[in-house]
Amino acid sequence: MSDVLEVKGLNVDLSIPAGILHAVRDVSFSVRKGETFSLVGESGCGKTMTALAVMGLLPRSATRRAEKIRFEGEDITDADDTRMTRIRGARMTMIFQEPMTSLDPCYTIGDQLEEVLLEHRKVSRREARERAVFLLEKVGITAAVSRLKQYPHQLSGGLRQRVMIAMSLMCGPSLIIADEPTTALDVTIQAQILSLLVSVQKEFATGMILITHDLGVVARTADRLAVMYCGQIVETGSVREVFRRPLHPYTRGLMRCIPIPGKTRPGQKLETIPGIVPTPIGELRGCPFRNRCFFARPACGAEEVEEIWLSPGRSYRCILRPDDVMEGRAA
Amino acid sequence: MNHAVLEARSVAKTYRVNAGMFRGSQALHAVSDVSFSLGKGEVLGLVGESGCGKTTMAKLILGLETLTRGDIFIDGTSIREMSHREIARRVQPIFQDPYSSLNPRKSIGSIISLPLRALGIGTREEWEQKVGEIMERVGLPPRLRHNYPNQLSGGQRQRVAVARALIMRPEIVLCDEPTSALDVSVQAQILNLLIDLREAMGLTYILISHDLAVVEHLATKVDVMYLGRIVEEGPAEDIFSDPLHPYTQALLASVLTPDPDLGLPDVRLDAEYPNPIHMPPGCSFHPRCPRAEKICRTVLPEMKREGERRVACHFPGPARGG
Repeated sequence: MSDVLEVKGLNVDLSIPAGILHAVRDVSFSVRKGETFSLVGESGCGKTMTALAVMGLLPRSATRRAEKIRFEGEDITDADDTRMTRIRGARMTMIFQEPMTSLDPCYTIGDQLEEVLLEHRKVSRREARERAVFLLEKVGITAAVSRLKQYPHQLSGGLRQRVMIAMSLMCGPSLIIADEPTTALDVTIQAQILSLLVSVQKEFATGMILITHDLGVVARTADRLAVMYCGQIVETGSVREVFRRPLHPYTRGLMRCIPIPGKTRPGQKLETIPGIVPTPIGELRGCPFRNRCFFARPACGAEEVEEIWLSPGRSYRCILRPDDVMEGRAA
Repeated sequence: MNHAVLEARSVAKTYRVNAGMFRGSQALHAVSDVSFSLGKGEVLGLVGESGCGKTTMAKLILGLETLTRGDIFIDGTSIREMSHREIARRVQPIFQDPYSSLNPRKSIGSIISLPLRALGIGTREEWEQKVGEIMERVGLPPRLRHNYPNQLSGGQRQRVAVARALIMRPEIVLCDEPTSALDVSVQAQILNLLIDLREAMGLTYILISHDLAVVEHLATKVDVMYLGRIVEEGPAEDIFSDPLHPYTQALLASVLTPDPDLGLPDVRLDAEYPNPIHMPPGCSFHPRCPRAEKICRTVLPEMKREGERRVACHFPGPARGG
């Protein structure tokens, strides 16, 4: 399978009053055609910044450095705004957490859907309308024609998110970036929206970057994942490999500190990761997880930890041997 | 059976909402005919989708809303006969978002001691002492008492909220999504704290959460709400292992456990969550129910009791395959 997106050595720095915040540090990954690639991590780990950096939507206070960003074989590392505007919304689209903030309350659903196509393609309004109806039906919205005349506030949260998915598909993109697409929804709707996303993504052979903090969502939907911590990718691999055999102590900790029905005993203490997520400001040295790590040893703070590749697509960033982490042997 | 710390009897809350200009107001039945009772040391998990009435129920228990019908008893006394202060002494809340529920201009010490000061309990020295004690209890370094909320992490803020709730030594703590706003790695710390404190202080919890894994982990008893009514109740173990109501079954099927060998569940709740102003007749779940028959569209199912379990469904039973 060919890569839709290839990112190499991506760094994003934000200048904030307290200094320079290294939001994304030396991040490399690729997304294949028809694949769901998940960026997993807690708030502030840099997963959203990574996505915004790829889309060219970073805030003004941010600076981006990258060795390489290739999208559909085209080098967009230094693409300017005009070029990115042509790509965004057409070949590369984004779905956000809260559909109400990404839909314009003053325009009808129809206007907003059609606008995407009219903006990027030479089509008539009628063709745009037909495409909108086709996609609304595709995402499971009944009475699509009459929905076109409705405004966002007339729809429920689940319906709005369906509209957002339809909108992201208007131009037949090759990459969809979905940032916590179901976090604002009820559990019964969440499963439906995720199934829908995965099914349209497979049907149109679109690559997808799924950003989430929810390990359940990742396990059930993604093909591959990257775990982020403090701006770095600390582990990558196929979902099965990572869930079965997490190599980084942070990944292992994350998987053990959530209550899992059928595995954790109700009322029993959960395993915890002590301490809090540090903010990567200023000069950074060594492994950012070492202060919370059960396996930490002096060498962890000495130098930058390199990514270790076990096979193409499987890596971790830790100086420990994977077997020690697996078997829970402390330093 | 031990004596009930909290009892709700046929509780109902109806709001009047404007239907639109010139159309007058309509009734929104946020909670209808809810009854349950909770013994000391139990943890009641209230689950259901947004709009099912769980937060209204919380407000009623806290005395923040007046009852339309029915009654709530705390230790045998009706809250209709209790002042706000009396309720506040016995029931304290912990809210979802520790970023918005703490006043940013007050020091941590002053936030935690507020309930004591507001109710005029004890002297200044006693407040200081109690704040120190409770901070230690919830795992906050006492030196933080002079800090402000923005200097604390999310987990620490939620500990402040827990300390504020517990300084009054309440009997009941109402936890409304206590860990939803926290990072995954911090969630477990707060859940463990809640488990510890319940045992150490003999607390009774009402846990409102959309995260069913959290409810399963903490709750001893579960009430499933749908459109303002309880549709199923039982010991947590039974509800999670053998749900009888088709809505409970759908809810549980929607939980995404982190198991990569399982795909996405096929949740067949096609219709949208109904508008509570235009409640469907009969069983309010029938438009989304895979089991609905003629009777479900016209007759409201009665609550049937069997041992400790209750279910309101015409055709209760284990999930059907297929």
